[in-house]
Amino acid sequence: MLTTSVLVPLLFLSIAMGAAAAILAWRERPEPGATPLVWLLFGQSWWSMCLVFKLRASTLASKLFWTDLEWVGVVIVPVAWLLFALEYTGRDEYITRRRIALLAVVPVLTVVLAVTSQYHDLLFVRPQTLESTDIVRIEEGGLWYWVIAGYTYLLGAAGILLLLGLLRSKAVTFRSQAVALFVGLLIPWSTNALHIAGALPTSGIDPTPIAFSVSGVVYVGALTQFRLLGTSPAPRKRARQFVFDRMREGAIVVDANDNVVDMNDSCVGILDVDPRTTLGASAQAVIPEYDRLPDDGPLDGHLTVGTEAGSHPYDVMVTRIDNIRGNEIGRVITFHDVSRHLRQQQRLQVLNRTLRHNIRTETNIIHGYVDRFASDEDAQIVKKRALRIEELGRKGRKAIELFENGRAGANPRPLDALVAQCVRDVRERYPRATFSYDSSADDAAVAHFLAPVFSNLLENAAEHASDDPNVDVTARVEDETAVVVVADDGPGIGEYELQVLDAGSENALQHGSGLGLWIAKWGTEIAGGEIHFTENEPSGSVVTVRVPCLAEPADEDGE
Amino acid sequence: MSNESGSLSLRAENVQSSYRALFEVALSLFERAKDAFFYSSAYLVLVAIAEVVTVTYALSVELNAAPVVVGLVTFAVYMGDRIADVDTDELSNPDQCAFVRRHYRVLSVLSAASYGLAIALSMLGGPLALAITLLPGAFWILYASDWLPSVGAQFSRLKDVLVVNSAVVAAAWAVAVVFLPLAFADAAFTSTAAVVFAYFFVDTFVNTEIPNVGDRAADEAIGVSTLPVVFGVARTRQILHALNLALVPLLGFALLAGLVSTPVTVGILVGVAAVSVVVSFLGRTDNGRLLSVASEAKSLLVVGVVLLASTAGL
Repeated sequence: MLTTSVLVPLLFLSIAMGAAAAILAWRERPEPGATPLVWLLFGQSWWSMCLVFKLRASTLASKLFWTDLEWVGVVIVPVAWLLFALEYTGRDEYITRRRIALLAVVPVLTVVLAVTSQYHDLLFVRPQTLESTDIVRIEEGGLWYWVIAGYTYLLGAAGILLLLGLLRSKAVTFRSQAVALFVGLLIPWSTNALHIAGALPTSGIDPTPIAFSVSGVVYVGALTQFRLLGTSPAPRKRARQFVFDRMREGAIVVDANDNVVDMNDSCVGILDVDPRTTLGASAQAVIPEYDRLPDDGPLDGHLTVGTEAGSHPYDVMVTRIDNIRGNEIGRVITFHDVSRHLRQQQRLQVLNRTLRHNIRTETNIIHGYVDRFASDEDAQIVKKRALRIEELGRKGRKAIELFENGRAGANPRPLDALVAQCVRDVRERYPRATFSYDSSADDAAVAHFLAPVFSNLLENAAEHASDDPNVDVTARVEDETAVVVVADDGPGIGEYELQVLDAGSENALQHGSGLGLWIAKWGTEIAGGEIHFTENEPSGSVVTVRVPCLAEPADEDGE
Repeated sequence: MSNESGSLSLRAENVQSSYRALFEVALSLFERAKDAFFYSSAYLVLVAIAEVVTVTYALSVELNAAPVVVGLVTFAVYMGDRIADVDTDELSNPDQCAFVRRHYRVLSVLSAASYGLAIALSMLGGPLALAITLLPGAFWILYASDWLPSVGAQFSRLKDVLVVNSAVVAAAWAVAVVFLPLAFADAAFTSTAAVVFAYFFVDTFVNTEIPNVGDRAADEAIGVSTLPVVFGVARTRQILHALNLALVPLLGFALLAGLVSTPVTVGILVGVAAVSVVVSFLGRTDNGRLLSVASEAKSLLVVGVVLLASTAGL
């Protein structure tokens, strides 16, 4: 049986911790949740204070006075808890003066009924008796007592539901905060529940305020150790909504019955619809060719959406939304405008055709005419330059093919075979050069479009080197990364050329001498790798290409 | 022989350097303790406790938890104030701000825990003691209130009004120091209590205006009316002298009327004399902070003299 000599020190502890935590929370204003937390701690401290004065009162009248005042703290706690949970989880849009007033109706009525309790039995079923333990026993259980008890537990459960998401948070800080909050709430409330059930030997005293001493310790710990109000999850919900609303891609959310339930601002523009009439409507009526869309994943080809402003092609991606049990509850459909991309692709095709056909034709004509008109040294120079123009055209085509192949996908090929093939091809074109190739990458596979990368590096080494250049090529695998090294004994790649490559673009003032090294750099980057240029000893360059190894090629002979 | 004397002198040098190192460590520890003592406002806790003990003796009530409660509240309020003003005090008091920033977390928790403990302890004195303990906190909330903007703004403006600003601080301090021991002892407010209240009110008022002399330019710039801002330093000195010395006839009357005992009268007169000396230096020294601390710390002198005089059987 609890006596006042045990109860009062515990209540003192509860008040001290509650007040200290309230001051710490007060200092954190205007952080989300700080103000409701101050009210919560004020409520529980008030409750404890009134209980102390009730226990220490010497007359029945004063004991009843403090019992009535206790209710102020009792009713503040659940309202403050719910407001805290709303604000802390970023749902502050629900906290309006009107809603707070509505939430306060039952608490205010309770306090009024407590103050006027001598005129009715709604809150307490009297009479009270002053017992030898100095504790006043009040036979609680009037009609309104159960109303406020139910109301308190309802708001408490609502607050817990709001905070449940934090328990699953990836951030340890938020999980720790959530655990602290639950402990701080559940201990006093379970104590209260046990008291209501008559399971605690407390001589009729509600021991909930004593359990607040634990809450106080937990809240102080959470404020100081887990930065309860210093690191707040409040912006997360708003940020996610913000990202959804403001993302450039159009996004529309449909439920499991294919009804539109949400859409962002971009999507409103893309589909040219009024969101007020669209939300709740059937997706078939809103999205063109809705039946073509897959259940999950990207749409094959493009979806053309026509509006008054014109029609645009879109890449469409459908993403399933599952509930916690893995059942589909809806889908998010995103629209990525590819009209600009398609225009660029068309331009590249035109450029490709021009480079492939027109330049070659024109240089052939130059060749023919020069042969007819002259055979001196000047004619040889013109022919050499014409060949160079044709070579530039060929490299341009290679670059365009590289981009197209990169877009088409990695298509893994054995590294060893790919490099060996490149060495063979370049060796044929540069018979004076001596190539050595050493590979220890038997099983490794890399993206097929890396072939022009290796070819261009080999050509660069053979072309710019001395009369009898030596080019050493090695291929190996290091930690799931394919490493290809091309070393030559030529004059080396100029510092200026490397600076241009490093800058990533050319302009009228700063430009390289050709496309070969660009192709090597672009191709490596498209494959997700990196390329490094160093000097060779005593002369020449060492180019190292590092690209991620891919899964085994599906077709070994598919070069 | 020469080897022996050489070894002895080497040993002496070693011992000397060890002592020097020890002394330097002790000096450094002392400096740090001194910083903590002043910057954390811990010295004000001693001042507050000394004042409540003086009141307890003067009012002949039993020694109770009031000095501890007032000490805890003093620490909490002053420390809280320094934490809240750490940005605005950066220019006027950089060393103190650096100390607060360095120990922000510990000081913040300590000040909150102090107030929490003070509230819990004050409940031993009943609802009135609790209300008096909550009073500084209530002022604090009103000062920074955004819950009650109109009340908070009006209250905040009080600190800009001549005399009212210092009078509010003096009244709040005197109420806490005089009424809390009474509330704990469940004693009535007597004529003796009124005299003691008047002393602490005037004393705190003077103590509040003393640092205003040093802050004159800054107060004037932000539109705060203090005695030095309105009347100048020389006239402020005269006003504070007058207020301080007005306590002498009050105490003489109280002694003759049997309201206060001889030890209390002697102690307070010593305090009045000490404040007079401090006020005389106002505007005549660059070390304004020392004057403020001396004026506040004279309460330790007062309680010492009261207890000594009492022991001596005066």
